[in-house]
Amino acid sequence: MTVPPAAHARRSGRTRSALVGNRLGTGPPVYREHRYLTWVVLFAVIAVAAPNLVTGQADQLSLNVWLAYGIAGVGFYWVFGLAGRFAFCQTFMMAMGGYMSAWITLRLGPNWFLVGVLGAMAVTGAIAAVIGLILSRAQDFYFAIGTLAVSEVGTVILTHTTSFSGADGSTVGIAAPEIFGYAFNSYLQMFWLSLAVLAVVVLFAILLERSPVRRHAIAGRENATVARSGGVPVVKVQVMLFAFGSMLGGVSGALLGSINSTVDVNSFGTSLAIGIFLMLFIGGIGSVWGPIVGAAFYVAIPQVLSSLAQYQNIVYGALLLAVIIAFPEGLVGALRILAARLTHRRPPVEPGATLVERLSSVLPTGKRKENDATAG
Amino acid sequence: MAKFVALLASGVAYGAILMLVSLGFVVLFKATGIVNFAQGDLVTLGAFVAFWAGSSLGLPILATYVVAIVGLFFCGVIIERIAYVPLRKRPPIVVVIATLAVSVMIEGLIELWQGSSPKNLPSPVGTAVWHVAGADIAMQRVVIVIVTAVVVTAVLVIFKTTSIGRQVRALASDGETAQLYGVRTRAVSVGAFGVSASLAALAGVLVAPLSAIDVTFGFALMVNSFSAVVLGGFVSLEGTAAAALSIGIIQQVVGGYFLPSYSDTLPLIVMFVVIAVRPQGLFGLRSSRL
Repeated sequence: MTVPPAAHARRSGRTRSALVGNRLGTGPPVYREHRYLTWVVLFAVIAVAAPNLVTGQADQLSLNVWLAYGIAGVGFYWVFGLAGRFAFCQTFMMAMGGYMSAWITLRLGPNWFLVGVLGAMAVTGAIAAVIGLILSRAQDFYFAIGTLAVSEVGTVILTHTTSFSGADGSTVGIAAPEIFGYAFNSYLQMFWLSLAVLAVVVLFAILLERSPVRRHAIAGRENATVARSGGVPVVKVQVMLFAFGSMLGGVSGALLGSINSTVDVNSFGTSLAIGIFLMLFIGGIGSVWGPIVGAAFYVAIPQVLSSLAQYQNIVYGALLLAVIIAFPEGLVGALRILAARLTHRRPPVEPGATLVERLSSVLPTGKRKENDATAG
Repeated sequence: MAKFVALLASGVAYGAILMLVSLGFVVLFKATGIVNFAQGDLVTLGAFVAFWAGSSLGLPILATYVVAIVGLFFCGVIIERIAYVPLRKRPPIVVVIATLAVSVMIEGLIELWQGSSPKNLPSPVGTAVWHVAGADIAMQRVVIVIVTAVVVTAVLVIFKTTSIGRQVRALASDGETAQLYGVRTRAVSVGAFGVSASLAALAGVLVAPLSAIDVTFGFALMVNSFSAVVLGGFVSLEGTAAAALSIGIIQQVVGGYFLPSYSDTLPLIVMFVVIAVRPQGLFGLRSSRL
């Protein structure tokens, strides 16, 4: 990869060569500014507003579930959004993490919660790394179906291993977690814990966004052959992001286990798997913001439309379809475009904005991708 | 021996069902390059439409099958309209997620329409059994095998000899060139979605009498027929048919003898190994473009 001359002009996005180089996503290290401040403000607002505005038990529970789903969503953003790996096993990783953490804390005591979370990360990361390596040559559908197989087989095994996952894959009576002697008994205390974990995850995500890993992942996603010939370790980056993303699934599962005080294999089934896609697509697959905003919507919809409870699946499905068709970049992307229109600026072309837009800008007609699929 | 015959019979019948579902996948994939993740729910929907036609409309059994197959053809067309046409210019992976959305919607609709309690679809041959070598084989399984043999042969003949079959094969091998030669991509994609859904409905009404039907019953069938499709490499109809049969037999016979509580996972394990060793499927061709 050569260094285009106008790297400094890229930030403004005005000159043509800069724009093209940026769209290809394989340029030199462009460490775009990151709005740490925006994130700090967001977390401050959540921290101040949420405990005061959200009072009912059910709403507080939803709030905690949102934070936990957000963590899993950020993980899935790395796997699917950044690395472009169509993995179908994020919910299995969540279940696995929940069981692992519950298994440790039920045997050693609630003050081993941190060890439980580490155990959840270790086991999900290890499973993902092994699967990622085994399936490293499999492309889109094959990877999706291969990970679906892992998820289904894993679920059957979890249902049968009663000594690890409880009778019929249901572990109950998980005590409130304790860290250094401090017990997180109430929903509010669990909220602080979940928020803190999410903050750490987001910090890590920002660091990852700033690192060359992001650029390598995008290059490998867009065209693995070209990226490889340019020296990008495609398999290494994809396996790494898959493992990291699955670890976050494990962390999320461990938190959910403590929030609900049970882990049940049925609650990590197909509908949550679709929910994860929904979170990512509603929010937008182009940034860390996407899954967190999306998770908020996913958790809020049943609360807002509680009179439509019987239509819940239909609403989720229709919403996902509508978002995919109408807002390819999700809410975050739509807001960004809107903001750019209001300020009469060219909308920022994110290297990871959408697979679609970037492909159609790089390829002459946008048709060749279809051929790839039929030939593959 | 009796046990072996019984397991083999259910394996062949199960393989036949998988064959129908996976042919639906392959027909659609050849015509459009899309994998429809709602296929399993179309199987469920087909069975439920037949159940509804029988219980609410009071139609005879064979007429309910016709209602299900024709009705599902139109469902396929609707899915094409809402989940494929608006996304034609997008990468196939996005369309796959759209079909996932459709799958959730179908499950929601079935639950709303028929409730979540399991239903029983009657068999055209009742509870008749066939005694072979000491084993009792439900006549329904024989019916499944015969109907599937006829339908699959018909699909293969249509693909090889008719103009429509040639058009679909042309689209599969090179979409752009096929369009240049006047293949009407849009008409073919509507037809492919419809036929694929009808095959799912046929599978649904055939397999439903063997067990109770509920909202999720098509999903396991779909996951297992992925194994057949992967072994066939998504492109070879004959390869997929052969793979479906072997997978049905492996699951029932090997699973029945050695791993009764894990028999459902065997097709998935076979598939995982195949993807790991040959990521393009056993009969698939590998090609990459820039």
